[in-house]
Amino acid sequence: MSQNDLTESDSESLITTDVQTNTTAQTASAATTVVETDHLSVYYGDDQALDDVSMAIPEHQVTALIGPSGCGKSTFLRCLNRMNDLIDIARVEGTVTLRGTDIYDDAVDPVALRRKIGMVFQKPNPFPKSIYDNVAYGLRVQDKEVTDERIEDALRGAALWDEVEDQLDQSGLELSGGQQQRLCIARAIAPDPEILLMDEPTSALDPVAASKIEDLIDELVEDYTVVIVTHNMQQAARISDQTAVFLTGGNLVEYDKTDKIFENPDSQRVEDYITGKFG
Amino acid sequence: MAVETETDTGFGEVSRLRGVVFEYVSLGASVVGLIALAALLIYVFVDAFGLATASPEWLLTYFLTLVVPYVGFCLYSVGDRAFTRKVALALGGGLVVTAVGFTAIETLVGTIPRLTWQLAYLFLVATPTVASATFVASQERVGTVGFGLLGRLVGGAALGCAVAILFIVIDRPLWFLVYTFAVLPAAGVAAYGRRMGYEWATVTAVVVGLLGLLVATLTRPILGVYPADGLIYLWTLGVPLAAGAAGVVWLREESRKTVAAVGGSTLLAAAAGMLLGSSALPAGSGVIVVGATVAATAVYLADVVDADTGREGLLLPVVLAVGALAGAAVVQTVGITTPEMWLTPAYVTSAPSNTAANAGLYPAIVGSIIIIAIVAVLSFVLGVGAAVFLEEYAADTGLVGRLTRLIQINIANLAAVPSVVYGLLGLGLFANLLGFGFGTAVTIALTLSLLILPITVISAQEAVRSVPDELRQGSYAMGATRWQTIKNVVLPEAMPGMLTGTILALGRAIGETAPLIMVGAATTVFSAPDSILSRFSAMPMQIYAWANYPQAEFRYGVVAAGVVTLLIVLLAMNGTAIIIRNRMERDH
Repeated sequence: MSQNDLTESDSESLITTDVQTNTTAQTASAATTVVETDHLSVYYGDDQALDDVSMAIPEHQVTALIGPSGCGKSTFLRCLNRMNDLIDIARVEGTVTLRGTDIYDDAVDPVALRRKIGMVFQKPNPFPKSIYDNVAYGLRVQDKEVTDERIEDALRGAALWDEVEDQLDQSGLELSGGQQQRLCIARAIAPDPEILLMDEPTSALDPVAASKIEDLIDELVEDYTVVIVTHNMQQAARISDQTAVFLTGGNLVEYDKTDKIFENPDSQRVEDYITGKFG
Repeated sequence: MAVETETDTGFGEVSRLRGVVFEYVSLGASVVGLIALAALLIYVFVDAFGLATASPEWLLTYFLTLVVPYVGFCLYSVGDRAFTRKVALALGGGLVVTAVGFTAIETLVGTIPRLTWQLAYLFLVATPTVASATFVASQERVGTVGFGLLGRLVGGAALGCAVAILFIVIDRPLWFLVYTFAVLPAAGVAAYGRRMGYEWATVTAVVVGLLGLLVATLTRPILGVYPADGLIYLWTLGVPLAAGAAGVVWLREESRKTVAAVGGSTLLAAAAGMLLGSSALPAGSGVIVVGATVAATAVYLADVVDADTGREGLLLPVVLAVGALAGAAVVQTVGITTPEMWLTPAYVTSAPSNTAANAGLYPAIVGSIIIIAIVAVLSFVLGVGAAVFLEEYAADTGLVGRLTRLIQINIANLAAVPSVVYGLLGLGLFANLLGFGFGTAVTIALTLSLLILPITVISAQEAVRSVPDELRQGSYAMGATRWQTIKNVVLPEAMPGMLTGTILALGRAIGETAPLIMVGAATTVFSAPDSILSRFSAMPMQIYAWANYPQAEFRYGVVAAGVVTLLIVLLAMNGTAIIIRNRMERDH
C-alpha cells in the first residue's frame, strides 16, 4: 500500500518540495511530503502560541517535536487536524497543506479532515464503553462498516489483541494505563487514517508500558505517517527520523534529521537544550 | 490551631481539643435534623395505622407471626452464629432497655403522648434491627434471591398500577387504533430493518408510525364499535409484555422451553387479570397489574431456577404471606381487638368523604401520578435540552457568550423564585391566556414543570460539565461531528447525573401545594379524572384540605394516612428512577 502511495503522489511532492526551498525550514528528507506548514502562527486571544513555523513532514516517517513546556509543540500538532478550531479564542495564520490542499481553506470541512488523521492524546482517554465499541467508534461515526476483522486488525496493529482477545465486551476503563493507551491507538488506526498524531503518548505511562508504545510506533510507521510530541529527548532520539526543536515563544528553532539534531545541531540554543544546559 | 506544650518525651504534645469539639458539634448538627424527622415520621406512622389504640396482644401476635419469621429468614440467609447471637441480643436486650427506660421517663418526667413502651420498642429497637438484618442478609445469595423476588413482586405490581392509572386519562379506543396502526407496524419495521442492516430503518419506521397515527386519528370518529377495555389492554399491553419478558429471557440464552414458559405464563396471567374485578381502576386494568407482576417475577424466576444456589430464598414471600394470614387467623379466633387503621386498601381506592371513616384518597392519588408523569417527561426533556445547548452549543465569547451568561444568571435566580409566583404565572399563562382551564392536569403539570425547570437545568448542566473534556476531544479527533459527540459520548456519560437532578426536582414538584392553589386545582374531587382536561386534585391539596376539617379524626388519622401514602408514592417513584439510573451506570 505504501508503495502505491509513493508513486502516485511523487510528482506532486516534487513541486511542493521545490516551493519549500525559500522558506526558513529545511526539508529534512527526500521522501514524499505529506503535510507542510507555511508561516504558521497561532494566537490564543492576544497570546501568540506559535510563531511563523514552516516545516514539511515526510511520509512514512516518524517526526518528533521536542521542546520545553509551553513552547507550542502541542499547538502545532493540533493545527494539523484543526483541533484548535474547538477553542473559541484560537486564531490561525499562515497555511497548512495536506498533500497540496490547504486544510484551513473555507471549503475544507474540519470533521472530514479529522477523519483522515488519527490522534492519540497525552492521557489515555478511552470512552466508557466496551473495548470493542471503543475501537468501532471511529468506524461508526464515519459511517464505515464495522466488522470483527477490522476490530481485530486494529487491535493487532496496536499490539493489544493478544491481551484483550477474550474480553472485548469489557469496559475499556478496566484496562491498565498502558493498555488503555494502546486501545486509544487501536481506536485511532481503526478507520485507517493517513497520519497519526501523538501528543506525548507515553508521558502518563510507566517505563515498561512506554517502551511497548515506542516499539509499536516503529511498526506503525510502515503504514502511517507519525508525528509525535514528546518531552523525553531520549525517546525522540530513539524513535524518530526527523526532529523539530521548538524553543520558547512558539519558535521552530531547528528541524532536521534526528541524528544531526542530536549529534551536531546548527543552533547553540538547541545544543544547550539537548545537552540539558537549559529547559 | 494546634498548641504545642513541652512534655518529658521531648517531642511535645499537640492539642487536638478544638478539632475534637468541632467534630462533635458537626456530628450533632447533622443528627439534630434526622432525629426531628424521625420523631415526626414515627408519629405520622402511629396515627396512620392507628397504632396508639393497638392492644399489646395484637402487637405481640403480629410480632410473632411476621417479624420473627422474617428475622429468622434473614438469619438463615446469613448463616453465621455470631450474627444470630448479636441480633437476638439486640432484640432481647432492647426489649428490657426500652421497657425500663420508657417507664422511667414516664414516671420521672411525664407521660409521652400516644406512645407505649411496646411502640417505642417497635420503632427504636425492632425496626433498626430488622433493617440491619435485612441489609446483612441481602449481601448473601439466599437473601439476595428472596429480596429480589419480593422486589419484583412489589415493583411489578406498583409499576402495573402506575401504568393502569396513566391509562385512565387516555381515550382507550384511540389508543387501540394508534397501537394497531402506528406503534406495532413502526416497531416491526424498525426491528426488521435493523436486523437486515438497512440504513434507513429508523426513518422508515418513523414515517410508518406517523402514517399510522394519521390513519388512527381519522378512523377514530368513523368507527363505532370497539373491543371491550379488557381486550384492548390485553392486545396493546398484555401481548407486548409477554413478548418482552420472553425476549429478555431469550437474550440470556436460556432454553426455548424457559422462554416459552415465561412468555406463556405472562400472557395467561394477563388474560386472567381481565377477570379480576376492581372497584377503583377502570375495567380491564387487571391485565396490566397482574401481567406486569407476573412478567417481572417470571423473568426473575427463570434466572434463579437456572442457577443452582439460593433457591430456598424464593420462600420469602411465602413466609410473609403465611405469617400475615396466620396473624389474622389468630386475631380472629382469639378475639383480639384490632386497632382502628386509617391507611387501609379502602382508603387508597375510594373517594373522599365527609366522614372520616369513609374518607379515601383515590382521586388525589390518580391526579398526583398523572401530573407527575407529565412533569417528569416535560422537565426532563426541556431541562436536558436547555443544559446541552448552554454547555455544548452556545459560544463562550462575543455577543452570544454574553447572552448565554445573562441566561445563566437568570436561570440561577429563577430557582429561587417562590412557588406562589409560579402559581400566578401558571394561572395567567396556561389557565387564562392559553385556555388550558383552571385546575386541569395540563395547567398544573405545565406550572410545576416551569417551577422545577431551573433545578433540572442547573443539575443537568452540572452533569454535562462533569463529562471529562478528554472524552470530547477524543471523539472530535476521531472525526465525529458535534451531534455525534453529544449523542455517543456526552449524553450517555451525563445521563445518571441528569436523572439524579430530575429525581430530586420531581420530589419537590409532587409535594407542592401553593402553585396548585393558585392555578385553581380542586381541594377535593370525588371521582378520578378521566381526561387530562378534567378537574384535578393532587395528594398535597387533599391533605391540606383535610387538615382544616374540624373533626379530630381527620386531623390525626386521615391526614396522617395521606402523608404516609404521599411518602410511599414518592419513595416508589424515586426508587424506580434510582434503579434505572444505577442500571445505566452499570451498563456503561
